[in-house]
Amino acid sequence: MTKSIHEVRDPIHIFVRLNSQERWVVDSRPFQRLRHIHQLALTYLVYPGATHRRFEHSLGVMELAGRVFDVITSLNNVSNDIRDLIGPIREQEQLPYWRTVLRMAALCHDLGHLPFSHAAEKELLPENWNHERITRSIIESTEMAEIWSKMRPPLNATDIVKLALGKKEAKDLEFTNWEAILSEIITGDAFGVDRIDYLLRDSHHAGVSYGKFDHFRLIDTLRILPSPRPNDEMGPGEPALGVQEGGLHSAEAMMLARYFMFSQVYFHRVRRIYDIHLKDFLKERLDGGPFPTQIEDHLRLTDNEVTAALLHAARRKDKPGHLHADRIVNRHHFKLLYERNPNDIKVDRNAGKSVFDALCAIFGEEQFRHDRFAQTGGAPDFPVELGNGEIVSSFLKSETLNMLPVVSIDNVFAERQIFEEARQLLKENRDDIVRPPEKEN
Amino acid sequence: MNGIKRAAVISNLADRLWKKGSWCGETHIQKAGYFLQELLEVPLGFDFVMYKHGPFSFDLRDELTSLRADGFLELLVQSSFGPSYVTTDLGKDIQSKFPKTLARHRNKLEFVADKLGNLTVVELEKLATALFVTHDQKRHDGTEEGRAGELHRLKKHIPESDAREAVRKLDRMVEELRA
Repeated sequence: MTKSIHEVRDPIHIFVRLNSQERWVVDSRPFQRLRHIHQLALTYLVYPGATHRRFEHSLGVMELAGRVFDVITSLNNVSNDIRDLIGPIREQEQLPYWRTVLRMAALCHDLGHLPFSHAAEKELLPENWNHERITRSIIESTEMAEIWSKMRPPLNATDIVKLALGKKEAKDLEFTNWEAILSEIITGDAFGVDRIDYLLRDSHHAGVSYGKFDHFRLIDTLRILPSPRPNDEMGPGEPALGVQEGGLHSAEAMMLARYFMFSQVYFHRVRRIYDIHLKDFLKERLDGGPFPTQIEDHLRLTDNEVTAALLHAARRKDKPGHLHADRIVNRHHFKLLYERNPNDIKVDRNAGKSVFDALCAIFGEEQFRHDRFAQTGGAPDFPVELGNGEIVSSFLKSETLNMLPVVSIDNVFAERQIFEEARQLLKENRDDIVRPPEKEN
Repeated sequence: MNGIKRAAVISNLADRLWKKGSWCGETHIQKAGYFLQELLEVPLGFDFVMYKHGPFSFDLRDELTSLRADGFLELLVQSSFGPSYVTTDLGKDIQSKFPKTLARHRNKLEFVADKLGNLTVVELEKLATALFVTHDQKRHDGTEEGRAGELHRLKKHIPESDAREAVRKLDRMVEELRA
């Protein structure tokens, strides 16, 4: 007899289970490509264990999305107000369709990643393109449409796009409250399962403990809740994904995990400069042109092709991108010369750029790289259901969330040969370089 | 408008909302920013879509986080409904560097703060969504009924009677602005 439920062993979730229809998606060419896309780009050059791929991450996101869906739609966990407001929960018969759409959206949410994932896609793709737009093209492609239409019930590709990308990346599509909540399950700032899986998985593979938290407790206490509002306002507030009071510590632990993972792993200085060298290499290899956005071309390009080109170019001085490849392969990366300093920010919000510009003017642009990035997304403000049924903001109940810093970097890296000279020059002229903006006349 | 001038305008907007009695949470700044850009035509450069509590800009949300990271704004907890944004000394200092920019937009900033400063989240959601549907004419005939119907379709938890009142209120505001 043919198996209807398939199990995949996974270091984070132990088993990821999927049915035969869902397996058609896993077996598709776009999904199989993810076996060859590193989750954390060149991070393995700093944390050698971090060689995991988007393939297993996407399976993990699907597994978690299904678990969250089951918790938040269980009638025991839904208030009357929310039931009245959200048709699919009220009527129940649509729930199996939406559960499958959600799991497939979770599975497909990363299909559009370029080789080495996030590394500098803004500068490598044509204007107005990003990996989410490629993901959408693939979900809507003829190849995937055949799978969606074969499934029972057939799935609507637009529904999958909405949940996989969320409103931020699918601005042209209209979202119902229900669809907004389901997309929040995958892409949400506070409890998105994409984030839950990558924190746990990246932490595991990098060999650091910072990313671990009690996600079982967190998921069990997730609820669709009305946004908190003053007593004198009538009717329920707009529904959002929130947590019961009992899960608040797990939510805090997740936010802290994110903060530490950004500080220690994702924004690690050497990891960042390798990403920059890789971007420089790819730009030179592409000879000024962008990465392909056509699906067939996209599917042909993985980390394997780029790694082969990188190793080849590192050995051959006549190959485009040789210098950048050499910096990566032979570990001659630029060194950190200047990093974000709160005292400098008080004087000049663009202190890193000022340092970069001043040094480039003296030593030349090729000797330096500037890397500025601030955490995106909003404050971790979500509804919390207290034991007495009252709904309040997470900020009211959590000192930890109130104190959570925003992660931000503003680095300047220098080529090794001029590093000492540049450092000395910066030391002697810092006050002239980092200075307040002139008052508008 | 470049990033540093925009920081001065946003922190100035937050100050003015406070002065008008606003609790000044993210929704207040989002909707005030929406009116400032889309009705008063201050070129903030944010992209607004229909999302949380009406028109919402993911860019503006990221900008608020960035302003917190750099110490221009900070969060203050004063109610059970969510945190408020407060301008820091550094935020006030940056405003003092751009007197011409702030003077150019002073009346518009004051108009928005005056009209929206004392509104609750629900009132802001209704009014901002009314402006959104008024500008987006694809799905209605432009009449009060048509726009109210569209508002209710987009935001099911807002009753049609409230939607009609929000459209009327918006129209009065636009008339006042024209006068």
